[in-house]
Amino acid sequence: MFRHTFLRYAVLALLAAAALLRALTAGYFGLEILAEILILAILVLALDMVAGFGGMVSLCHGALMGLGAYAYGVLCVHAGLAPLPALAGAIALTGAVAWAIGAICARAHGIFFIMATLAFGQMAYSWVFETPLLGGDDGLGGIPRPDLSLLGIDLSDSRSFVLFCLAATALAYGAAVLVLRSGLGRSLGGVMHNEQRMRALGLTVWRVKADVFGLSGMLAGLAGALAAMQVMYISPGLLAWTTSGEALVVVILGGLGTLVGPLVGAAAFVTLKHGLSGVTSHWHLVVGLILIAVVMSRANGLFGWLEARWGARLDRRLADATREDTPREATNDA
Amino acid sequence: MTTDPGFWLLQTLNALQLSMLLFLLSIGLTVIFGLMHFVNLAHGALYAAGAYVAASVSAVAGFWAGLVLAPLAVAVIGVLLYGGLIRRMRRSGPMAQVLVTFGLIFVALDLTRLIWGDIALASAMPPLLEGRLSVLGIDYPLYRLFVIGLGLVVFAALAFVLGRTQIGAMIRAGVDNDAMAACLGINVERLFFIVFCLGCALAGLAGAVAAPLLSVSPDMGLQILIPTLIVIVIGGLGSLQGAIAGSLVYGFVQTFGAVLAPGLASVLIYGLLAAILVIRPTGLFPAKG
Repeated sequence: MFRHTFLRYAVLALLAAAALLRALTAGYFGLEILAEILILAILVLALDMVAGFGGMVSLCHGALMGLGAYAYGVLCVHAGLAPLPALAGAIALTGAVAWAIGAICARAHGIFFIMATLAFGQMAYSWVFETPLLGGDDGLGGIPRPDLSLLGIDLSDSRSFVLFCLAATALAYGAAVLVLRSGLGRSLGGVMHNEQRMRALGLTVWRVKADVFGLSGMLAGLAGALAAMQVMYISPGLLAWTTSGEALVVVILGGLGTLVGPLVGAAAFVTLKHGLSGVTSHWHLVVGLILIAVVMSRANGLFGWLEARWGARLDRRLADATREDTPREATNDA
Repeated sequence: MTTDPGFWLLQTLNALQLSMLLFLLSIGLTVIFGLMHFVNLAHGALYAAGAYVAASVSAVAGFWAGLVLAPLAVAVIGVLLYGGLIRRMRRSGPMAQVLVTFGLIFVALDLTRLIWGDIALASAMPPLLEGRLSVLGIDYPLYRLFVIGLGLVVFAALAFVLGRTQIGAMIRAGVDNDAMAACLGINVERLFFIVFCLGCALAGLAGAVAAPLLSVSPDMGLQILIPTLIVIVIGGLGSLQGAIAGSLVYGFVQTFGAVLAPGLASVLIYGLLAAILVIRPTGLFPAKG
């Protein structure tokens, strides 16, 4: 189960402040990068929910995100729905697909779970690639952004759009925390630590897994719809398994099972990518080496390392300062 | 068209040729996984390295030199990888191994681009195998028949080694229960080292064989990785029968799917994989019951 520590609040506040500051001051290119970070952040939040808190390492979240993007695009362009209902429809549809995938894969563990999700992701990819209605290889263009002129907001302006993405990311974070703190989230933690015991306690294990996977899919669908709005165009490449692989890399670089860590990872990854691609065309080499170094150092990513080093000490000092009667140990079990 | 026996023969040969290429790749990966529970996603990168070495060598010294040198060169890469990374990752979980080897894919991708450039290389076929052979009324490229033959030879050799020799018995014991095998005095760690190098060499061989058929490009390792993983998951991890069965299933479904139901072909194989994972979560011929 997920708990906020002082360090988590601090990093969260720092990230939010930095994002807000950039959103208000950055130029056009900076805003595009920020939107990319925020969309990736929602995707990795979704992935961390299942991978970090349920042990379900999914390689289909990129495909789910792509599905959300296509659902939004098709509902807008072909079905003629207004953007906001289309957004809701895309999130619901992606959630339903993710629930089904989660239910089918619930029996598989370890490498087989990874492969099964990979298979479903690739299935969606090939299907989109070969469906003429979705534009196939050419992708789908002319996707509108929501019209918020009632609130006096014009989303075609990139600054407003970035603020819209920031609000969506905050909502997604809140939703993830709520889910993980609910009974469902606690059951999921139990399933991750000891599935047999949870089954013996009378829990329908596959339902718990499928429900959380579905909720995580809804977040991925939201990320996809935002990505479609950002570039106003979708290509099937969004569904390819390398997108899922990259999202997994971001979660690991940030810190699996911390929710805040993946946000740090998303910011670091996109910044690094754009920073390096300006200097060298071989940025994959650098990212690969960093990934190998981080995994081999056995730290739980950047944020996990920070937490192991400072988190406990900060919490203890805070507890001393407020003179709590029962000195509680800082918990890192989330 | 579909009533013509020549059509069926032609597609069967095509399917066999694809299957054999995948078999050469998947056997190394599956035995490494079965023996040491090590997930090596960088196997595709080794295949790409083999193709590049073969293409470079064959441009200077001819195809056959490339075919011999590529597996050796990739085996040397395997030794370096083993000493530098794999041995230290042995005790960590599958998640860490997947990620480290995923990082290796990134590194290998850019290293090949740095060394050989972005442009795809072409590799010439040997003059001996350039022609076409008339088989039961159809003309079929000799080189593709050579690929099928090579795959069958490797399969026969591995079946003999694994089934009839002492080292094969040791490998099977290690796959079945590595702790027990170690108690019986088998040096499982050394066994793994040998199998790992052999698997790398086979990946290099597959790359060298594939080089004249496909163009040699930096992302060829990434493209072949998913089919290889599908093969070993369909077949079941760790067994020779699984690798050959999975390769044949993949080769035939993919080839006949592409000609008979073009719209469905690529969805078909993933659907099949999902169905197999649901019905038999450990594959068709898992090494362990």
